[in-house]
Amino acid sequence: MSDMETQKGKYVTFKSGNEYFGIKIEYVNEIIVFQEITEIPESEDYIKGLINLRGKIIPVIDVRLRFKQKPFEYNDRTCIIVITVDTNVVGLIVEKIAEVVEIQEENIIPSPTIGHSDKAHHTFVYAIGKIGDSVKLLLDPDKLLNDNDLSLIEQINEENKITNEE
Amino acid sequence: MAEGFDTESMLDVYLFENEQLLENLQEIVLEQKDEECFDEDSINEIFRTMHTIKGSSGIMMFDNITLVAHKLEDVFYYIRESHPEHVPHVELVEHVLNVADFISNEMERIKNGEAADTDPTEILDSVDKFLTAIKEGSGTPKEEIKENVYEAPKQLYIAPKSVNTSNFFRIYITFNPEIDMVNIHAYTTVFSLKDIAEDILYSPEDIISNEDSAKEILTNGFIILLQTKSTEEDLNQLIKVGYDILQVDIFPCTEQEFHQGFDLIGSEIRIDLDSSVEEIEAREEEKEASTPTTEEEQKVNQPEAPKKEDKPIAPGDFVIESKGAGKATKLAKDKPKKAEKTSFISVDVNKMDMLMDLIGELVISESVVLQNPDLQVPGLKLDNFNKAAAQMSKISTDLQNIIMSMRMVPLTNTFQKMNRIVFDVSRKLGKDVVFEMSGDTTEVDKNIIEHISDPLMHLVRNAIDHGIESNEEREAKGKTEKGKVTLSAKTEAGKVFISVKDNGGGLDRNKIMAKAKKQGILDPTKPESSYTDKEVYQFITLPGFSTNETVTEYSGRGVGMDVVVSNIQSIGGALEIESTPGEGSCMNLKIPLTLAIIDGIVMKVGNTSFVIETGIIKEFVSVRNNEIVRKPNGDEFVMIRGEGYPVLRIGERYHLGGSNTTTDESMLVMIEVEKEMVCLLVDSLIGKQGIVVKPIPKYLKKVKGLSGCTQLGDGSIALIIDAAGLLEQN
Repeated sequence: MSDMETQKGKYVTFKSGNEYFGIKIEYVNEIIVFQEITEIPESEDYIKGLINLRGKIIPVIDVRLRFKQKPFEYNDRTCIIVITVDTNVVGLIVEKIAEVVEIQEENIIPSPTIGHSDKAHHTFVYAIGKIGDSVKLLLDPDKLLNDNDLSLIEQINEENKITNEE
Repeated sequence: MAEGFDTESMLDVYLFENEQLLENLQEIVLEQKDEECFDEDSINEIFRTMHTIKGSSGIMMFDNITLVAHKLEDVFYYIRESHPEHVPHVELVEHVLNVADFISNEMERIKNGEAADTDPTEILDSVDKFLTAIKEGSGTPKEEIKENVYEAPKQLYIAPKSVNTSNFFRIYITFNPEIDMVNIHAYTTVFSLKDIAEDILYSPEDIISNEDSAKEILTNGFIILLQTKSTEEDLNQLIKVGYDILQVDIFPCTEQEFHQGFDLIGSEIRIDLDSSVEEIEAREEEKEASTPTTEEEQKVNQPEAPKKEDKPIAPGDFVIESKGAGKATKLAKDKPKKAEKTSFISVDVNKMDMLMDLIGELVISESVVLQNPDLQVPGLKLDNFNKAAAQMSKISTDLQNIIMSMRMVPLTNTFQKMNRIVFDVSRKLGKDVVFEMSGDTTEVDKNIIEHISDPLMHLVRNAIDHGIESNEEREAKGKTEKGKVTLSAKTEAGKVFISVKDNGGGLDRNKIMAKAKKQGILDPTKPESSYTDKEVYQFITLPGFSTNETVTEYSGRGVGMDVVVSNIQSIGGALEIESTPGEGSCMNLKIPLTLAIIDGIVMKVGNTSFVIETGIIKEFVSVRNNEIVRKPNGDEFVMIRGEGYPVLRIGERYHLGGSNTTTDESMLVMIEVEKEMVCLLVDSLIGKQGIVVKPIPKYLKKVKGLSGCTQLGDGSIALIIDAAGLLEQN
């Protein structure tokens, strides 16, 4: 069986705050234990810095801070999930790794929102996966890494301005 | 061998090989551009190069390249065969270079995914005209030389003397298309005939060197012409139908037919029967060796084999039918044999980077093992362990050195290109210019080479255009020497020094000053005479500054020197100009050996390690807190030996927690950036270290003042400070 088939429908889940989140397994390179981070000055607060992953220097971001939740103390349960999105290799600091689960297509439902909620929380979660009674919030790694949504809004605003001026 | 036809990789190989061939070709041509004519080896080499390019382009269906290469091949075929008396050498050189340019351009287009369809008519015509001209110029040829190259065997053939008792055979072999590497099987067959053969020819000829010949063998069959004392039955014994050979047809033929060779199919080839396949392959790769050495060895190994060239023949064995042996004297200028070439393979740079990363990783894990806390138990006997550890450290250091040296490339190719520029520019401007180079084997990191090629080209052009005077002017000045451009390189203290020197008129200080005044660059408060020569000469590196009144094709537009300087600066280099009026000027480039590894001082601020390149650090100063003076606007400075220097606290600049606020324990690092002295305040110094520069992951926003990051010996990460960027913001 090819990798694609074995990986299909599988998610790496982890706990952050009170919720469980899931990331499609094909984005995940590996999971490593927490290691010392070198701070990078002048970067967003959720970008914690750089780590040395066997000679490769990669940035790590704190998922809690990314979700604009309260920071947490790093301890020996803290893990770093190394993911690749496009060509970016980035580490996600999470409180606790849960498990790898398989979620059937029919158990994945779009994330429910009230009206036009644009809380950061919702932009990262593109769907919800049901497993028995529990739910996992499925993350869009692309959004997690990039501030695209933000810059897009800015862009639209800019364009509106220009058209208005004309 | 992979099934299926991978045109992509074939194209890569095609482009790569032809690039090498063209480079080699230019080298040969330029080496002898000042001679009266090419020597025999070079003519053969050029002929062969064109032949190869023609062949491979034909296979890849690049018709225009094939046509042009064929045309030039014709010219050299004519020169080789009939040794015309009056060949305008310079013109010939130009034609060769034009053809090389044409093919390079086409290949560039192919590389960019465009169709190679530049109209070749013009270049074909001009080469054609040249060919006709030399044919007429050489007087009435005693015999009409056929233009078709493929008929070469007839004229060259050297018949063995004692032929009466020999039988001649024409053997057609059909190979099984199912098997791989038919060409190798064909060679094996030829090889098996060696014991009985007195003479053997086969077609296609290049079965060992050219893998594509396998295709040809499958479509056209493999034909052997054999002269032997053996009978047809013996042959049947030797060549049997088997898993590789489907069918063997042996026809007896006459001696004449034998000597006619493969009129229809291709040219003949002499094979070296006593060599193994590997030897032959190896020889084929050594291009220049292929003609002389092969023949020589053949002579030794197998006296019966006929000779293609007019080399001395073992007495009594042969008579020479080839003509022109006597005329060759003019062409056969003895050329010293080139030093043996080192063999190279091309490796993907990514793989090299991976290897470098891995070795870095190895070094770190080595220190983790050797300094493992488990070893710190008191009273542990570690003698043997330490011995083994020392051995291992030695190996890993060697490994590191080798991977570093692998990234280094000699400047030879870059310098060679300049040779070409000198030739072109000096011809166009009508100036007699000699080009000299030295130190071209100096090795520089590959990345650096890419950055200095353009600036060098510009400097060389400038030297000829602005520097060297016209022939008349030189005469009037009483300069007896020819105009000369010297390109030299040397390594010193981790830097490469490249200089472009000319023996022309030198820079005109007054002219530059006048121009500078006009452009308002001069500081009005400073008297003109107080500018040093060096400062004045630096003006020419400013954008829009050209003292050449007229714009020529090559220079005078005032763009250029500033681009040169910014290119050089982008790789951390510098340009210095020296000039003596009337005697010439010299442009000195000072360039770091490598971008990948720098010598740096590691320092700590709070919990973060930083690295600063050693070169820009002037000194370390330990100061007391009260020696730092704070101005009302918050800027700080320090007095050292009566001079005031601004102070920049790295910890504050980057809002790093945990950094010392009192200066009593911390250190000042004085750095010089663009002639400005600045003191950086850091918590502590760790030490000096050679570091491998890695880019900051592009996911992160660019931070001003940081140019990269690196991994320290203990596996932690340090940030590399880009001093210029650090100060920019302030």
